[in-house]
Amino acid sequence: MFTHETLVEGSKMWGLFYLVGFSICVLIYTFLPANRERFERAEREIFDKDDGPWT
Amino acid sequence: MPEVMHRKLERTATGFMLAIIAAASVGGIVEIAPLFTIDDTVEAAPDMRLYTPLELAGRDIYVREGCYACHSQMIRTLRDEVERYGPYSLAVESQYDHPMLWGSKRTGPDLARIGGKYSDFWHVNHLNNPRDVVPESNMPSYRWLGTTPLKLSDLPLALRAQRAVGVPYTDAMIENAARDAYGQAVPDSEQSSGVTERYGEATQISAFDGVTTNVTEMDALVAYLQVLGQLTRAAYENPAAPQQMPDPDD
Amino acid sequence: MMQLTTGERQLGAIVLIALAILGIAMAAAGRTDVLGIHGAMVLLYSLALLFLLFSSAFGPEPSPARLTRYYDDPIKVGVGLTLFWAIFGMFIGVWAAAQLAWPILNFDTSWASFGRIRPAHTSGVIFGFGGNALITTSFHVVQRTSRARLADQFSPWFVLFGFNLFCLIAVSGYFLGVTQSKEYAEAEWYADIWLVIVWVTYFVLYVRTLALRKEPHIYVANWYYMAFIIVVAILHIVNNLAVPLSFAHAKSYTIWAGVQDSMVQWWYGHNAVAFFLTAGFLAMLYYYLPKRAERPIFSYRLSILSFWGITFFYMWAGSHHLHYTALPHWVQNLGMTFSVMLLVPSWASAGNALLTLNGAWHKVRDDATLRFIMMAAFFYGLSTFEGSFLAIRPVNSLSHYTDWTVGHVHAGALGWVAMITFGSLYTLVPAIWKRERMYSAALVEVHFWLALVGTLIYVFAMWNSGIIQGLMWRTYSPDNTLVYSFLDTLLAMYPYYIARAFGGLLFLIGAIVAAYNIWMTVRAPSAAQLPLDEDLPASDRPLDGAAPTPAE
Repeated sequence: MFTHETLVEGSKMWGLFYLVGFSICVLIYTFLPANRERFERAEREIFDKDDGPWT
Repeated sequence: MPEVMHRKLERTATGFMLAIIAAASVGGIVEIAPLFTIDDTVEAAPDMRLYTPLELAGRDIYVREGCYACHSQMIRTLRDEVERYGPYSLAVESQYDHPMLWGSKRTGPDLARIGGKYSDFWHVNHLNNPRDVVPESNMPSYRWLGTTPLKLSDLPLALRAQRAVGVPYTDAMIENAARDAYGQAVPDSEQSSGVTERYGEATQISAFDGVTTNVTEMDALVAYLQVLGQLTRAAYENPAAPQQMPDPDD
Repeated sequence: MMQLTTGERQLGAIVLIALAILGIAMAAAGRTDVLGIHGAMVLLYSLALLFLLFSSAFGPEPSPARLTRYYDDPIKVGVGLTLFWAIFGMFIGVWAAAQLAWPILNFDTSWASFGRIRPAHTSGVIFGFGGNALITTSFHVVQRTSRARLADQFSPWFVLFGFNLFCLIAVSGYFLGVTQSKEYAEAEWYADIWLVIVWVTYFVLYVRTLALRKEPHIYVANWYYMAFIIVVAILHIVNNLAVPLSFAHAKSYTIWAGVQDSMVQWWYGHNAVAFFLTAGFLAMLYYYLPKRAERPIFSYRLSILSFWGITFFYMWAGSHHLHYTALPHWVQNLGMTFSVMLLVPSWASAGNALLTLNGAWHKVRDDATLRFIMMAAFFYGLSTFEGSFLAIRPVNSLSHYTDWTVGHVHAGALGWVAMITFGSLYTLVPAIWKRERMYSAALVEVHFWLALVGTLIYVFAMWNSGIIQGLMWRTYSPDNTLVYSFLDTLLAMYPYYIARAFGGLLFLIGAIVAAYNIWMTVRAPSAAQLPLDEDLPASDRPLDGAAPTPAE
């Protein structure tokens, strides 16, 4: 069945593909033009001077 | 609108949490899962014996007192370590260690092969007050070990719990745990013969703390220290020994 | 607890009575075992809280107007607990450090010997100080960034007091000799189970509060808090799987053995650093730094990229604690590789913080609180660089087992974790208690210099001692024999151990100064001059009226 070597090979290969795939997803999310506005808003919203929850 | 909006927000949060789990779990899985097949590759040690109840009790005291905070039990594959402490540690040597006590800091020296290097008498004196033996030492003194009786009644439970996590203790070993602990610390008692019968001829039977009238925590701890590195000879016989040794200058 | 509704008071009473019964059961089952002592402690703890609860149990129903304000009562208590554990944990640390130089300082007692107080120090500062700081600030940040009140009034108290019960059981256990020996996870099985319950409640509370948010986007600080909560739960459960001797015994054996145990332990150990001591504190950085500097974060996108980088890479890095050991070689190399890669998201975070301050350096000069935060970012950059460096195999062959590791950890713990915490506390305390400023700006200044000088003395002492000892261990004479005995190398350490204890003492005094300053701030009369409309719901006001200028 699984020997140590095949399992190590498999998990390293799978890990590498996973890393690449994950990085691509994160980059897309970060630089998606549709997200630009929400990020810029998030940057500023913490300065809105209020000290109570919004109702 | 608020209803729809709300559900959408929840979805964002859930998706986000799943993404965190997806990102964080992969590293551990890749590195840990293959280790469970490690038995395929590590050296076999057919001569490996188990800790006796007294040694296991000593190990628990070693854990309780936090000895691992200053003493490692892992000789690395480096030339100076092998020359200072002995053959480098093999995976098989800690196969029954729950938990492993490899340590992370050497305020004091490595203890992986301390067993047999000093006499019981030396260990007892050293533990009672390290500065009596090594004047420059900064190790705490452990005077109370010699006056605290070992709790023998818990030993069968301890062995049973060890078996539950995978250490192959037999029913006879569990049943006789308290007897064997007494026998190992009181030579020539009627309980002594059972110890070598169950744990092998090489088992050291000795009045570790020098007193045979009772079994103390000092007996247990010294018995444990004396068996460190002695459970198997695999590290001394392994022909692959120098292979991994890197150049000391790199 | 004045704001609790009748239903919440009843729920609290039921939970505390159940806990008291559990305490009695533990005491009865454990008897002379330490489990019995811990049962008695659980009983006393729940009875004390029950007394507190009952002392206000029959008051009037709270006004519905409370729902239009943030729920800050648990935060106030959390600040006190944070400071208590800071002083306790650091005091034990100084004591342990002094014992290494003067071993008689355990006074020949078992409970005060180095091996027992060392985990009391690490748990006291990591979980007691760090954990309470994280819980406290997370309650503050999640409400402010979500524009929502905490989802209910019972869970925050359960999380806060439940977590402190865990800390109490854990730390008192070490003095009594109860430990699993797993570094930074020494607490025994029953404390571990209790922490899981507390943590699940924390997680549910956090998610419910986030779900109430009025912004579609979750602010990045909350990402870090979420990662901290989720990943710590995973790490904690996997590493602490154990079989107790019986339900009447405190002692247990981990299910992991030997090599697997070493990997699981350091996968946990390193990621406890990553997700307990980094992710949660980065959350503080991403909220309190822009708030204090009154400048938006330099690059929000960079904070997202570094978030995923840290979440992904850190989990691979643990095996660098096991270089040249019996752990298979390929795992060591993976750990080294990812540890080096980790420098990218780490420096992205540190750089992002420092670049946020670009153009506001005059504020850093004048405001010691902002300087705390700036120094924290600097030490974060320094210790993550050092961490990646020490993870390289040949470097590690020298540094491992020496004080260099200890110095590295404290560059992170004192310079990064403690400084960002104090910077955040000095920002949070006046805001929560509605004071215009801290009681004494001069004392903040004094604290800053004590903390900085203390950290530098500590870290330089440990760098020196670590490198010297590592080199001495491997020094060969021309005829190829080892030159120094182990004892020779220990003797060389003594001056550094004394210096280290002194550096730690300065840091401890700084924490005491902070506690005094915060106490006096709380005691000062409430600033009536604060504009009243601060307390009004924000929907009455334009959303981006007060947005400051972006960083250049």
